[in-house]
Amino acid sequence: MRLFYLVYIAIVLVSCSAPKEDYVENNELLEFSVPSNFPEPVYPIDANPPTKFGFELGKKLFYDGKLSSNGFISCGFCHEQRTAFTHHGHQFSHGVDDKEGTRNTPPIQNAAFMPEFTWDGATSHLDLFPIIPITNEVEMGETMGNVLLKLNADEEYNGMFAAAFDDGEINAENFLKALSQFMVMMVSAESKYDKYSREEEGVEFTALEKKGLAIFAQKCASCHSSDLFTDHSFRNNGLPPNPKLNDIGRAEVSGAEQDKYKFKVPSLRNVALTAPYMHDGRFGTLMNVLNFYDSGVVNSETLDPILNNDELGVKLENDEKEALIAFLNTLTDENYINDARFAEY
Amino acid sequence: MKKYIVPVLVLLSLVSVSCSSDDDGMSEEKLEGTGEVSLTFDNGFGGNDLVLNTANTANANGEVLTISRFNYIVSNFRLVTKDGEEFTFAKDNSYFIINQEAGEETVELPEIPAGEYTTVKFGIGVDQEKFQQGAEGQGDFLAQAEANNMMWSWQAGYKFLNFEGTFTSETVTEAENFKVHMGSHGSSLDNYKEVSIELPTNIKVSNEMDSNIHLKIDASKILISSTSNIKFSEQAVIMVDEVKSPQIAVNVTEMFTVDHVHNGSGHN
Repeated sequence: MRLFYLVYIAIVLVSCSAPKEDYVENNELLEFSVPSNFPEPVYPIDANPPTKFGFELGKKLFYDGKLSSNGFISCGFCHEQRTAFTHHGHQFSHGVDDKEGTRNTPPIQNAAFMPEFTWDGATSHLDLFPIIPITNEVEMGETMGNVLLKLNADEEYNGMFAAAFDDGEINAENFLKALSQFMVMMVSAESKYDKYSREEEGVEFTALEKKGLAIFAQKCASCHSSDLFTDHSFRNNGLPPNPKLNDIGRAEVSGAEQDKYKFKVPSLRNVALTAPYMHDGRFGTLMNVLNFYDSGVVNSETLDPILNNDELGVKLENDEKEALIAFLNTLTDENYINDARFAEY
Repeated sequence: MKKYIVPVLVLLSLVSVSCSSDDDGMSEEKLEGTGEVSLTFDNGFGGNDLVLNTANTANANGEVLTISRFNYIVSNFRLVTKDGEEFTFAKDNSYFIINQEAGEETVELPEIPAGEYTTVKFGIGVDQEKFQQGAEGQGDFLAQAEANNMMWSWQAGYKFLNFEGTFTSETVTEAENFKVHMGSHGSSLDNYKEVSIELPTNIKVSNEMDSNIHLKIDASKILISSTSNIKFSEQAVIMVDEVKSPQIAVNVTEMFTVDHVHNGSGHN
């Protein structure tokens, strides 16, 4: 926590000393701080340091339907803050013209710490990620070129790009940088678990939560590792493929047979809020997810070997499942889902 | 008769100008300042001109390709002097799209240091280093790639080669679509390749001299090269194929040859 205070002081100092007479110079740097229980960020902060106006521009873009072909589907349409930026209650993402995707909307949180994005790792740079939903015909169905035309024609955006970037241009580079600045600042690290992990004063786990944590460490943490709760790998966790979709996952990107049906190990932060679960949103509750790992895992050529020791899956007693769910609930970060900085209104 | 006098005079003066500028006796020291090197990518197929939407001569597999789109990215241009020194053109400005339908066939490299160059080197596609520079590294190239059908929307990467059309063969008598989109596969497979081509004649660059390298491109190599033989009759849509995409990436490096250069004239 000490780091936060230092950062806070630094911000105050910076803002005090910043010259006030010039509008553009007032665009102060936002301090991006790494929670002490997190690894180092992957995102090159120095190449695109978040600023006050860059962040505000990114936020406006995030919630603007102009990014889609019909003018209504914004990023925030499928990424709702109250459910850790997922599309609550929707198995698949909904796009323009009532089209439906084939994958469940993943949460947006701690993106600066992630090396690859989307369920299949279709891009390895956060800056380039927004191109995927914007140009996907079942999501926002637009082209980058057309989005930029619309923004160029908008007076407010002209002012905001001018305030946020030195060259002030409304182009792909600045557009993507602004969105990244917004997403880079979206750090969720104030859950009960975080405070417990950082040994902050007055934060205690119940006996059940402690038991859940111990089981988690033993049976889940090999994939859901570190305080990000993912090792960023792609694995086949033994879900029987849905024949209607036959989503081959990572193999879509790599073209490799051995990647068939592998999907990114998701972070479990705020997992209690992000139902339904799995890449295709097939499970409605955490208990169903645990039941699946206990008894639903099916063997296949690409099943992760970690789930195929002696018997398939991760054997869990009922009391262990209960404890695990109690533990998973400690990953909910109320601060994050209520943080006004990220809110649409 | 009189009316031919003027053209003849013009011709004569042209000849004398070109003689003096191409003068072999011209000492190297006179190559001063900078000049422009341009490259013309003259697309062809199996020794003939490449005309879109027109059937080409059957290839060695008996497949007749009618090409409707032939676009590719060339990048990271370097020139080697006759002393073996390598000049690298500014990386940020070193990405170009050759687009047959749009008639984009020229790469212009301004402000090349004066000198005599023996070899040109360039990449096909976009290297991982550039991609990993994120928004800043892509700059306007992203929008340009999108406008030229060279973006893979679903994986936010570049198509290094976009080769589309229809084909027939002995077994496929009704024309079927073919589609070859080759690029890197996310972080799992890097298909960026580089070529190094020795020029038949050295190019000279100076304040007074721009030069042009005229390349002939043989698109038939995409399928049949010295290292692999790909048949559309077996698979006509090749996008992210762990076996065939890398083969195509290698094949593509064989499609470039320098036909001739123009010294001092700048263009063909």
